[in-house]
Amino acid sequence: MYERGWRRTLTLALFLGPSLLGMVLFVMGPILASLGLAFARWDLLTPPEFVGLANFRALWADPEFWRALRHTFGFLLGYIPLVMLCGLGAALVLNARIPGRDFFRAVYFLPVVTAWVAVALVWKWLLNPGYGLVNHLLGLVGLQGPGWLFDPNWAMPAVILTSVWKDTGFVMAILLAGLQNIPREYYEAAAIDGAGGAARLRYVTLPLLAPALYFALTLSLINSFQVFDQVYVMTGGGPAGATTVLVERIVKNAFSYSQMGYAAAMSWFLFALIFLSSWALTRLQRRAL
Amino acid sequence: MTLRRARLDWAHWGLTLLAGLGAVVMLLPFLWMLSTSLKPASAVLSLPPELLPREPTLEAYREVARSFPIVRVFLNTLLVAAATTLGQLVVSSMSGYAFARFRFAGRDLLFAAYLATLMVPFAVTVTPLFIVVKALGWTNTYWGLVVPALFGAFGTFLMRQFFLALPGELEEAAVLDGASTFTTFARVMLPLSGPALATLGVFSFMASWNSFLWPLLIVNDPRLMTLPLALATLQGLYPGQTQWNLVMAGTVIAVIPMVVVFLLAQRWVVEGVTASGLKG
Amino acid sequence: MRKLWVVLVFVLLANGLARTTINYFSFTTDQNHVKDLEALIAAFEKENPDLEIRYTTAPFDSYFTKLQTNLAAGSAPDVFELNYENFVTFASRGTLLSLDPFLRQDTSLNNAFYPAALSAFRQNNIQYGLPITFSTVVLFYNKDLFDKAGVAYPNANWTWKDVLSAAQKISNPAQRVWGVYQPVQFWEFYKVARQAGGGLQVGPRVQIDTPANREALRYLVDKVRLKVMPSDAEMSGVSNEDMFLGGQLGMLYSGIWMFDKFSQAKFKWDIAVEPGGIRKATHFFSNAAVISRTTKHAEAAFKWVKFLAASPATVKTRIDRAWELPALSLAQRALFDAYLKRPLPANREAVFDSLRYAITPPVVENQSQLQDIINQELEAARLGTKTPEQALADAQRRVEALLRR
Repeated sequence: MYERGWRRTLTLALFLGPSLLGMVLFVMGPILASLGLAFARWDLLTPPEFVGLANFRALWADPEFWRALRHTFGFLLGYIPLVMLCGLGAALVLNARIPGRDFFRAVYFLPVVTAWVAVALVWKWLLNPGYGLVNHLLGLVGLQGPGWLFDPNWAMPAVILTSVWKDTGFVMAILLAGLQNIPREYYEAAAIDGAGGAARLRYVTLPLLAPALYFALTLSLINSFQVFDQVYVMTGGGPAGATTVLVERIVKNAFSYSQMGYAAAMSWFLFALIFLSSWALTRLQRRAL
Repeated sequence: MTLRRARLDWAHWGLTLLAGLGAVVMLLPFLWMLSTSLKPASAVLSLPPELLPREPTLEAYREVARSFPIVRVFLNTLLVAAATTLGQLVVSSMSGYAFARFRFAGRDLLFAAYLATLMVPFAVTVTPLFIVVKALGWTNTYWGLVVPALFGAFGTFLMRQFFLALPGELEEAAVLDGASTFTTFARVMLPLSGPALATLGVFSFMASWNSFLWPLLIVNDPRLMTLPLALATLQGLYPGQTQWNLVMAGTVIAVIPMVVVFLLAQRWVVEGVTASGLKG
Repeated sequence: MRKLWVVLVFVLLANGLARTTINYFSFTTDQNHVKDLEALIAAFEKENPDLEIRYTTAPFDSYFTKLQTNLAAGSAPDVFELNYENFVTFASRGTLLSLDPFLRQDTSLNNAFYPAALSAFRQNNIQYGLPITFSTVVLFYNKDLFDKAGVAYPNANWTWKDVLSAAQKISNPAQRVWGVYQPVQFWEFYKVARQAGGGLQVGPRVQIDTPANREALRYLVDKVRLKVMPSDAEMSGVSNEDMFLGGQLGMLYSGIWMFDKFSQAKFKWDIAVEPGGIRKATHFFSNAAVISRTTKHAEAAFKWVKFLAASPATVKTRIDRAWELPALSLAQRALFDAYLKRPLPANREAVFDSLRYAITPPVVENQSQLQDIINQELEAARLGTKTPEQALADAQRRVEALLRR
């Protein structure tokens, strides 16, 4: 910046070079390679072979893929509303001046910093139908708990429940930041107009919180399309394939079945999904605000 | 006035109660984890479950340490996370600075390309990335664990935004004194970048500490295992069923350092996580 | 481990020569047998002071993914293990070294092996692996539970009907006792299908959805429906072996590798040849040691493979420690005498009787996908999300699609 000529180029290379080299080698290069791979067949051991659109045609005809897609959407439809509601509730409660507020905030955020593998294992044990704490507590209030991860109808709800527990603090943190940006005067004005608690929430808080809500929603959406760690550890896609999801299929096809090209095609489908849905959400937000 | 006051108090205590209930839900899994890890094998499957271990013991921790190189795994994870964090800070602060302060042809296009990579899920790149790392001969090495994790558009983006917000006059003084760009960057800018570096550092450390899919794919050698990998392995280590007291002991060992980091640097953690959209 | 290093350094200094290192990857060595493997390695290194074996183990579930990534990454272990089912996948991709040159030179191994085990690891007339173990599945039964229910003990003439009626008499779910446990998965099904007069066929034509196979699956699933076999939720992650050991199962279909673990049982138990349907059929499992085609130390690797497969030290360790069975010809009966003489279970002859009915599972190049598909459909039938008929029809369709690809 302050040097001239070749010294300036050298300085720039010093500053940008490492990052650029790494980005090309480990991020952008692989992205382009993956695009190429989507049109090839490759088992990692014998040379790759160009197959045109065959991988995408196979994708279209593969009932396993459609089922994984359905499960991914099932996860999303259960997870997103719940995590947003819990996160919003927690943010509203912990935005009020209650005793121990900082302590509560820290506690709610604790699961967010815990490794997914650890969380998944703890919940797998909590939800153990015979010896776990959850069914024991349900039993105390006279309820017969389900088989959770062993029951094809309850396995996905169990994964959703675990994910909501882990991510509530994440949504809460984003919304708390949003709430703190709302000027106090708005509330004071509303109070003078005689607005009650519910009215203040409806007409002041929520509209002004909308950008933060959209932000949290978009991030949650992007992340939930990529749900993997919890499924891998808690169910491995079972029972009877009731919890197979897209990223799990991608990893399975690539690294267990040695179908690198097919896995790449699937991953680009996933990218398209993520891209389109976050684009749609942005459009929606623009129109709404 | 008194009536209103009373109602306010009620609402106040209601909210506190609600927050407390939520906190119980949030903490109970951690307590159950701790409690199970302190049980002897014979008490794990007792009915009804013992909420608190009747005869607390460190047996499970000893068993984990005996059958698993847990200290080594712990140090591996620490080493990898520390190296990743340090590397990220160096690489990202320099590239962020370049994007913020240099003018060069194609800069904005390149920056847009950086940002575009943020939208591509890891699942897309994981296969070719594996092949790149294989070609470099880095499977089953620390290099393979650390180096690919050093690069990401997020760090560059975060640092660039931060440097853009700093006034240029700060550097001008240094330049008048005849300092080089590097000296200016290292002596003037970096010392001012504490908050951004802390945010990015905590983010990198957490991402590395908790990372699962990548180590799962490139590490086979048990001597290079990181904690999340070790935990997943611990689950299936013994033929037959999962030994829950051992698994929970392993989980406690993996979770505690993150909790400590969080309690020490709560503000940066929350900021790093919410700024990046990264969860766990 | 540290001691081993000290010894190593000492040997290095004493000999003043660099030792060749052979990397060995194993899934048959579970936590109970790590010490045994280390003892074998020590014995081998004593015989071959210029060689060093460095081993890694992985549980069966994750072994093949790791092996595959290792091979792809060019960091293949010199010697590794393959089971019969996955052998073809690796042999057909050209990842294995032919052992024929070694076998031509070393005639000591002629007729040494159990023929079916040896031929299991031959493809296109090339021998790629030496069988290191074989094993079979038998019917374990808890004598105390049989006595309590007043049922006669199983014998080699039993059929499915006898199993079901005994199981019904023994079962008492309120007391957390069930009559029988037989896994509903690929490895059981290929055999039960044959017992029903059918069988799993994947080539030249796929034959999964056949009347006999449907009957076989109904039989497997009925045990859960009749509540003589515990459901997943009732087991809650406790393994069937541990339930048997806890006295909660009257009968258990499991491998002979469980003898060691069950010797700590607090009740009387024995084994019988697995009951059949309209005919008898039993498992044949075999594992081999193979050499990676990319190894730089083929000679040394073969020495280790041979040691693992046929050395007296290995045979003795396997038999003494109930670590499966060495895959040697039964003609060498003297070798197995020690095995037969061990106290528990009394009816050890049943192991060798079982081998008379042994059949092998179907094997294709994309074996892991085949097994995943069949296991998923069988599980759906067991959990009742599909009828057995639906499950087999779906399996048939999916396997056809897989093999067409």
